[in-house]
Amino acid sequence: MKKDGKLAAFWRKDATRTVMASLISILIGLAVGAVVILITGLTSESLSLKSAWEGIQLMVLGLFSTGREAGTLTFGFNGTNIGNMLFRATPLILTGLSVAVAFKTGLFNIGAPGQYLAGTAATLFIALEIPSSVVPPWIIWILAFLGGMAAGAVWGAIPGMLKAFLNINEVLACIMTNWIAANVVTWVFDVSNLKNVVENTKTGYIYKTTYNNVQTPKMGLDKLFPGSQVNGGIIIAIVLAILVYIILTKTTFGYELKACGANRYAAKYAGIKDKRSIVLSMAIAGALAAAAGSLYYLSGNTEFYWSTYQSLPDAGFTGIPVALLAANNPIGVIFTALFMSMLDIAGLQLTNLTAYNEYITDVIIAVIVYLSAFSLVIKMWISGRKKRAVATTDAPAEPETLGEETEPAPEQTAEAAAQTDAAEEAGKEASEQ
Amino acid sequence: MSFLIRQTLIYAVPLMIVALAGVFAERSGIINLALEGIMIFGAFVGVLFVRVMQQAGVFDVAKEMSNYLALQGFMCLTMLVAALLGAVFSLLLAFAAINLKADQTIGGTALNLLAPALVLFLIRIIANQNTLQMASGDAASWFMIKKAMLGIDSDTSNFFVDTFLNKVYLSTYICIIVFIVLSIILYKTRFGLRLRSCGENPQAADSLGINVVRMRYTGVVISGALAGMGGFVYALTTTNCSANGDVAGFGFLALAVMIFGNWKPLNIAGASLLFGLFKCIAASYSSIDINGDGIYGLTTIGLNANFYRLLPYVITLLVLAFTSKNSRAPKAEGVPYDKGQR
Amino acid sequence: MPDSEHTESEYIIEMLHITKEFPGIIANDDITLQLRRGEIHALLGENGAGKSTLMSVLFGLYQPEAGEIRKNGQTVKINSPNDATALHIGMVHQHFQLVEVFTVLDNIILGAEDTRLGFLQKKEARKRVEALEEQYGLHVDLDAKIEDITVGMQQRVEILKMLYRDNEILIFDEPTAVLTPQEIEELMHTMRNLTKEGKSILFISHKLNEIMEVSDRVTVLRKGKYVGTIDTKATSKEELSRMMVGRPVQLVVEKGPAQPKEPILMLENFSVPSHLHKGDAVKDVSFTVHAGEIVCVAGIDGNGQTEFVQALTGLERSSGGTITLCGQDVTHASIRSRSQTGMSHIPEDRHKHGLVLDYTLEQNLVLQKYYEPRFQNHGFIRFDEVRAYAEQLIEQYDVRSGQGPVTIARSMSGGNQQKAIVAREIDRDLPLIVAVQPTRGLDVGAIEYIHGQLVAQRDAGKAVLLVSLELDEVMNLSDRILVMYEGEIVGELDPKTTTVEELGLYMAGAKRQNRKEESA
Repeated sequence: MKKDGKLAAFWRKDATRTVMASLISILIGLAVGAVVILITGLTSESLSLKSAWEGIQLMVLGLFSTGREAGTLTFGFNGTNIGNMLFRATPLILTGLSVAVAFKTGLFNIGAPGQYLAGTAATLFIALEIPSSVVPPWIIWILAFLGGMAAGAVWGAIPGMLKAFLNINEVLACIMTNWIAANVVTWVFDVSNLKNVVENTKTGYIYKTTYNNVQTPKMGLDKLFPGSQVNGGIIIAIVLAILVYIILTKTTFGYELKACGANRYAAKYAGIKDKRSIVLSMAIAGALAAAAGSLYYLSGNTEFYWSTYQSLPDAGFTGIPVALLAANNPIGVIFTALFMSMLDIAGLQLTNLTAYNEYITDVIIAVIVYLSAFSLVIKMWISGRKKRAVATTDAPAEPETLGEETEPAPEQTAEAAAQTDAAEEAGKEASEQ
Repeated sequence: MSFLIRQTLIYAVPLMIVALAGVFAERSGIINLALEGIMIFGAFVGVLFVRVMQQAGVFDVAKEMSNYLALQGFMCLTMLVAALLGAVFSLLLAFAAINLKADQTIGGTALNLLAPALVLFLIRIIANQNTLQMASGDAASWFMIKKAMLGIDSDTSNFFVDTFLNKVYLSTYICIIVFIVLSIILYKTRFGLRLRSCGENPQAADSLGINVVRMRYTGVVISGALAGMGGFVYALTTTNCSANGDVAGFGFLALAVMIFGNWKPLNIAGASLLFGLFKCIAASYSSIDINGDGIYGLTTIGLNANFYRLLPYVITLLVLAFTSKNSRAPKAEGVPYDKGQR
Repeated sequence: MPDSEHTESEYIIEMLHITKEFPGIIANDDITLQLRRGEIHALLGENGAGKSTLMSVLFGLYQPEAGEIRKNGQTVKINSPNDATALHIGMVHQHFQLVEVFTVLDNIILGAEDTRLGFLQKKEARKRVEALEEQYGLHVDLDAKIEDITVGMQQRVEILKMLYRDNEILIFDEPTAVLTPQEIEELMHTMRNLTKEGKSILFISHKLNEIMEVSDRVTVLRKGKYVGTIDTKATSKEELSRMMVGRPVQLVVEKGPAQPKEPILMLENFSVPSHLHKGDAVKDVSFTVHAGEIVCVAGIDGNGQTEFVQALTGLERSSGGTITLCGQDVTHASIRSRSQTGMSHIPEDRHKHGLVLDYTLEQNLVLQKYYEPRFQNHGFIRFDEVRAYAEQLIEQYDVRSGQGPVTIARSMSGGNQQKAIVAREIDRDLPLIVAVQPTRGLDVGAIEYIHGQLVAQRDAGKAVLLVSLELDEVMNLSDRILVMYEGEIVGELDPKTTTVEELGLYMAGAKRQNRKEESA
């Protein structure tokens, strides 16, 4: 009896429902991916049913793929894959944090790709232009990392200022600044002397930072996951996530940012500088997205394709599903980023081992984003029949006051709107008496 | 000059039609951030349709016999197919936004992620590369109207013929006509009046017996159809009838055009011409399929190519900055309609 | 006359023994309402008494668990608003259902358009509307946009909408809340005209004066239950209020004479720019509020009060003049520095400004204090102190909520949300309290409580600046009344010596004083 009550309480907890909603989103996303693979497998002449089955297996278990033996896929522990997953999760944690921080302030930061590029460019310039013969490489590393973050902060602050002072939709402003960043970065590298002219097949790329002896320390992780690209960046990313969590939940600054996000007018009424909060939040978001680019290219084993004016880095966009899936919780971001990078690895295995390609993982991610747009509905499904019975009559019990009570603020999110579900309010009102 | 006008129109027309797509969604109360994604999807569907029909040999005969009427009809059919599937694709947004009261910005973003992912996944499997092209020939040789086809003597050369009848696509004119017709519908018909009322005050519309859900669905579906069609027209006229899961931010530019045009068709037409001009200047640098006679006019300007590429985006941002104070979005856009809140 | 066989039925609409339940609450419990042909029937009840639920049942928005609806003695089934429209039932909602950017004509025809091949035929519609305007004396410029006309005019548009649809049962939901006394008078006249032309009117209100003046009969509801129906002529205000509240109500706030002391707030030539046009929304306003008095800024909605308050509290910029608060010039001070100098603010819109609805109650209670040393330590919030403070306020001001300090503000009832705001602002113990529409949408109990709190603050030596649209509140609570009309203070009145009618003349701009001498 008592245990039952505990279980019920567990299910009622908002956090539980959030996690469940995310897991359901993931499952549905994977299911859609499987269906797409199956349909293409069945309709395309070049693909067989067997290959479709292999595709689905790899999509789910790609992380544990160990290749192909005698025509069949083999699975097992693959340290390289896991190390690479950690390596790829590093930028995703940071762009996810970037999107999450902005969300907390009520802003949709779709500008992470541009901020990522800004950070990348600044980092590469600093890391390659300061000669390591004069300055110790570890100092250059720190300068490059901080410089990248600073550049991203500036780039993120631009749409923030447009939003705060001119009330321009930050989504449009972010998209424009993304493309501007892509063009500007192309331009500055085009006229720079950092193009890789040493290796003649690599002129489309910028030198690796190791060219100037600058590299993120491995911190022993390469021993743990031999053959992979992993380095200390993942630890830095996790530390930053914890830091963001503390700032958002424990400090007055976080209180102000979240107040602005939940109700900009009330925040202003309470004397919080709403415009400053919006700009700061976007600057922090920009710095985090830039840190993603910075760490990715400071790893020393990656190189930057500079003529990027026609494409934006995926890592920036993937920050959106990472944040949404984590319900904007900075700690949750760590896990969802790991999941996304696991999908990434699976996509690579898919391309290498079958006739399918990595874009299926993008399909899955898109489905997950789609589902998170109405995560609240999913959460309501989870929270069960009892609540549903209450909510079915989406009817206000006390409509007298309703017209005024539940008028949604223009900025109100779907989540908030659904929460005004008046029947629920009636229940609360009854419990107040 | 003729070249510039022609080329500007080529960019302005998809912008215009896709901006109108935005208008229909937003005037009904739904923010359609997915225009970019729907365009990508429409472009893919159109190109795939052309390719499949070519492979099936359906129109080779017409081509060989120089039966231009059949070819133009074929192109119109493709536009229709792209519109249809664009509308179907947009149902995803309508369902999330209207039935599930989802966050429309996130829903739109999901479609913007889904479209290129799905399209690239399929293109890879179909074509084994990242770009889907026509099975044979190029867009210009198949679908472009040249003055000879209209029976105009090749020696005849005046401004009107050169600009509007030679080396143009029929799709340009169809889009303009569709644009005008839909604008009239929006302002002069019962349907238009009701649609607009749903974007301004759905509670009021509902209290007068107007079905807000149906109106919003209609708005989004029209929006999807226009964006899908616009996507194919874009692919046909600017990327030589090929699809690669990308329309270079055109859908977002269209949104900016819509805001700049204050959600009003006439202003939008003007704004798209302006943006078309900038886009034309920017793209004429990287684009390779410009016909020989016009190109010298632009190469002589001789600034860094990156500068031109940058221009449309910077101008968009500036335009947004300067017009934001006066712009007036439909009052209820982005707010899910809840019957209980009357 | 198709209805001739039913004309023997005395009632045009009857709602018999209606019961409507919602989980946890019976909104309508066996309620009967019978509307006679050609009468004005008032439906009286407090906020939350079940009036709107009953009307929603009549409009087919809800299906009742029990009871039936009859028209002309015939049982009818109303499943949707369209059914109600088909039965010629029309309603003027409390919040007008108008599309602001459309013209008057477009609003009238919306939903009942004449078309040819789908195209609107506005010419014929215009003729019909003009004929109706003539018949009922309801003149409105058909080509004006709704956003450009006055609230009174907008109400006419709503009435014309019903007439255009040939409605014979007209429901007015709290129609006078936004009108001046003179406009109210006009509305009463229109209503009588309508009944003369054969319409039947249901008039929902909680204002006794109006009910006494215009209605033929009154049905009273209380807490979802039917109390009774009586002839207006045979009753009195006192009886009606007792029926409505269930106990004798103090129609007048009990308070002693004010004892004004030193000046707290001084405004000199204060002006605020308008959002709508190039000019000023508030023009050249000067007055002083002293410790120990309640000064009320009265006026019809939209005469600059909102802009005035926003500029006074720092939410918006002013365009001229000075604000002196507790001897300091705060004209250009930030919101926070004004509030620290001595201004607390109970805002007009508790959802927009007063609360962060997604924050918990305790987070909302420290909204004005979270940065004070008691609640933070080097930028880190001291959660234990926040909890202790919240519990103290909840106890002291009797703020009720489902889960105490951790209740999400959104899930609280309107009255308790307002109590939380009042508690937060009063507990800051600052010399000036700016209270804007502090009782909007609350029931009698909550109104009495908040009025009592404001009077207590006055007696404790605080200066209270009240901004209100409710005439009763203005007359009962204030020690001095300043009337704002089109952004100017057009008169200063003493509530003890003035009448509602006189106040109305000032509010409507028909009368004004030259009050330059006041600043001396």
